Amino acid sequence: MGIKTLVSSRRSVKDCPGTNSQDAGKADACAGCPNQQVCASGAAAAPDPDLAVVRERLASVKNKVLVLSGKGGVGKSTVSAMLGRALALDDSKEVGILDIDICGPSQPRVLGAAEEKVHSSGAGWSPVYVSDNLAVMSIGFLLNSADDAVIWRGPKKNGMIKQFLRDVDWGALDYLVVDTPPGTSDEHLSIVQYLSAAPPVAAVVVTTPQEVALLDVRKEITFCRKVNIPIIGLVENMTTFVCPKCKTKTAIFPATTGGGPQLAEDTGVPLLGQLPLDPRVAQACDEGTNILTQEPDAAVTQAYKDIANKIKEYCEAQSQEAT
Amino acid sequence: MSAAARDLEDMVEECPADSNEAGWAGVCQGCPGKELCLSQGSQPDPEQQVIDTRLGAIRHKVLVLSGKGGVGKSTMAVLLAQILAGEGQRVGLLDVDVCGPSIPHLLGVEDQPVLDSQWGWQPVVSPLGKIKTLSVGSLLSSQSQAVVWKGPRKTALIRRMIKDTLWGRLDTLVVDTPPGTSDEHLTIVRLLATTRPSGAVILTSPQRLAAGVVSREIRFCQKMNVPVLGIIENMSGFCCPCCSEVSEVFPGGAGAHLAEKYRVPLLGAVPLDLGLAEAGVSCGWRDSPVAQAVRDMVAKIKEKL
Repeated sequence: MGIKTLVSSRRSVKDCPGTNSQDAGKADACAGCPNQQVCASGAAAAPDPDLAVVRERLASVKNKVLVLSGKGGVGKSTVSAMLGRALALDDSKEVGILDIDICGPSQPRVLGAAEEKVHSSGAGWSPVYVSDNLAVMSIGFLLNSADDAVIWRGPKKNGMIKQFLRDVDWGALDYLVVDTPPGTSDEHLSIVQYLSAAPPVAAVVVTTPQEVALLDVRKEITFCRKVNIPIIGLVENMTTFVCPKCKTKTAIFPATTGGGPQLAEDTGVPLLGQLPLDPRVAQACDEGTNILTQEPDAAVTQAYKDIANKIKEYCEAQSQEAT
Repeated sequence: MSAAARDLEDMVEECPADSNEAGWAGVCQGCPGKELCLSQGSQPDPEQQVIDTRLGAIRHKVLVLSGKGGVGKSTMAVLLAQILAGEGQRVGLLDVDVCGPSIPHLLGVEDQPVLDSQWGWQPVVSPLGKIKTLSVGSLLSSQSQAVVWKGPRKTALIRRMIKDTLWGRLDTLVVDTPPGTSDEHLTIVRLLATTRPSGAVILTSPQRLAAGVVSREIRFCQKMNVPVLGIIENMSGFCCPCCSEVSEVFPGGAGAHLAEKYRVPLLGAVPLDLGLAEAGVSCGWRDSPVAQAVRDMVAKIKEKL
């Protein structure tokens, strides 16, 4: 009649050993998992033939940049789109944006392509081109109605992501920016599994300054290290708001525990930049216009360009090391 | 458009994951989720009686939903719970955000473990209003530990958080959810199906981009027969501490737009409040501009329960 200690409840959160592991279905943590039988039978461990197809398809994509956070609403989609646009300012580069947020796809609207549809040819699905050298793919293009709920469980979402990677005909790209949903779950495991088969891939982690965001972002950094995805750096978004009337800067989301800079230092991740909270960015995303060309002198425009340059430098350094 | 792309559109539209046809319909052939749907969908749940008994002792169950991340679901769930507790209700707060559990931090119970007894898990009691709360955050040994779980495992945990937890008799259980319309949302709605959720409070930020995502959540509620109690537009305006000019940090007016489009009540608009963001919900918020706005909204929610 005693009370067992908290150890037993914490044990229930032990990590899934992974469907490909030797312990799949047999580890302590597997007891009670609905997938236990499937894993124990070895069915889940069979090598996925699509990995090779994805590798071939992505062989012409020089650099894959995953934009992650863990926390929702920090601006992953905004940052993904802005980075994509910033990288595409160089006419000689071909850039793609892949939106794997199945439940809340934002890229079609942010990039001004909400009415577009996907076309298919013998070479695969054609992504939607928002400018000559910037292409995008999202489930948003496949939905008939703008407000249809995509109520899918994990395996179906994984299947869709795999199809995107396998069937989209990007052509030769210098950069593929991948916008992810919040969390550390099916979509993230799936994209990491497939992109790891087609390196190089690296992550940009986005946060806002407040502790409730950092809580989730620390987990995301742990996730990246666990799955061996190198982190290019951390971007702190919505750092300060400038009052349009008196120009006073206010930290609307206060960095009570040091914000992005402290997190960067604690985790040994470079701080790529701090983006101000500029309502014109939110408006441009709503309208699907390009703030980088509309407001070339805005502080936020320069900040995005600086971050894009650091990403370019990282990618160039990595490819030089590889050769 | 080619035949292949058209077929794909049809597949996206017709997934019957939440119906009796899950796994059996023509469109299910070749779907990677087929086996899971077949195993989960067909038989009656043997544990449903236990779940119903637990939930039967809880008078009102209010889901806090959005679809969109970062609009303030967790903060609003805590404020809602605190106001109801302050009025003398017995309140529980269940956090089904498995990947990004924020509730322990917001309620100031980060260091309190969940105790396991032979009758089940004892929820942690927050000193801020004697609110019983359960979150995966309270089950982790370290706050930087990442819970990297696929759908089925998240589903199993959420079931335990209802079935194996000693909630006891409660007047209101507030359920904080993660962004999206996926495993966690389907699971919690299914668990509440026989004892009926009282309804959902939908959070949005003013941005039209958020409205696009939140509209899917409203459609989810309609599809799953969850009554929508109303919409709250959060982060609606910021008052400069220096000159008191009210600025639209996230322009768009999404709250009113969604309320009109889907004919659901707009419960209110909550401004960005530095005091709340800085101090957290633990202290001082009761005097903030947000407090009165939220109290008015809670009064409206109570009328509908």
